[in-house]
Amino acid sequence: MSGYDLELDARGLNCPLPILRAKKSIQGLESGQVLRIVATDPGSVKDFEAFCKQTGNELLAASQDGGEYAFSIRKG
Amino acid sequence: MSKRLKASERKAAILAVAKVLFSDKGYHGVAVDEIARRVGVSPAILYRHFPSKEALYEEVLNRIACQRESYVEAVVQSDGSFGEVLRMITRRYVESVSRDPDYLRMELQSALEGSDATRQFFENRWRPFTDYIEVTVRELQASGKVAQTDGRIAALMFQGMLREALYAKCIFGTPRYRDLDLNELTDYLVTLFFRAIGYRECED
Repeated sequence: MSGYDLELDARGLNCPLPILRAKKSIQGLESGQVLRIVATDPGSVKDFEAFCKQTGNELLAASQDGGEYAFSIRKG
Repeated sequence: MSKRLKASERKAAILAVAKVLFSDKGYHGVAVDEIARRVGVSPAILYRHFPSKEALYEEVLNRIACQRESYVEAVVQSDGSFGEVLRMITRRYVESVSRDPDYLRMELQSALEGSDATRQFFENRWRPFTDYIEVTVRELQASGKVAQTDGRIAALMFQGMLREALYAKCIFGTPRYRDLDLNELTDYLVTLFFRAIGYRECED
């Protein structure tokens, strides 16, 4: 359930860097594979929702633990 | 149903009037009574929507955070290169400021008042530029795609340049630059910035 194919550490980075890195990471995945992103920017929640809406990738899960945010995105 | 709509319209009217007054007189220069009078409601009605002047000011500020969605769009549409991403987010920012220069005035007012809102303006409006430039210059430098440059200072240079152009065009209406189109002016400044740091577009 919590499986992923690639993990991106975007901790300490702020908009637009996490989105930019996620875009580049997803380009290297096959359709259906999952990218997990860990970020610390509180704005990344809205950013990744917008990112998935605009790119047609699926936001499988978003969670927060302390000051860290984790996102799982399935490539469409 | 229509009553709810009316309430939301009233809230929007309060926010619009508050933004203009805050930008004109600063946070301390505006009284809640004055905002209420301009909207045509009683202070009691205003407090029903916003419990305090601080809460109202914060809500006006929060409206500028929606900028980020357009940055995400810019990144998605770009080729991912430093040149294209920086140009695109700069254009988005300049468009939003020229559409609504009141926020730029509020930023100036908040700095003069020494209020905490100045930090929020930086976080919402400038930090995407400064962080992106600083980190990317450092990375591109490692692969020789920009000259030996302190990324932090390069970011400061960019911020100062863009901010001054926006002041000249959107607030002061400086006659010297009146004949220049704002978008063309800022686009040219981005080009000058790339030259200054020794970055050639289309190379990363």
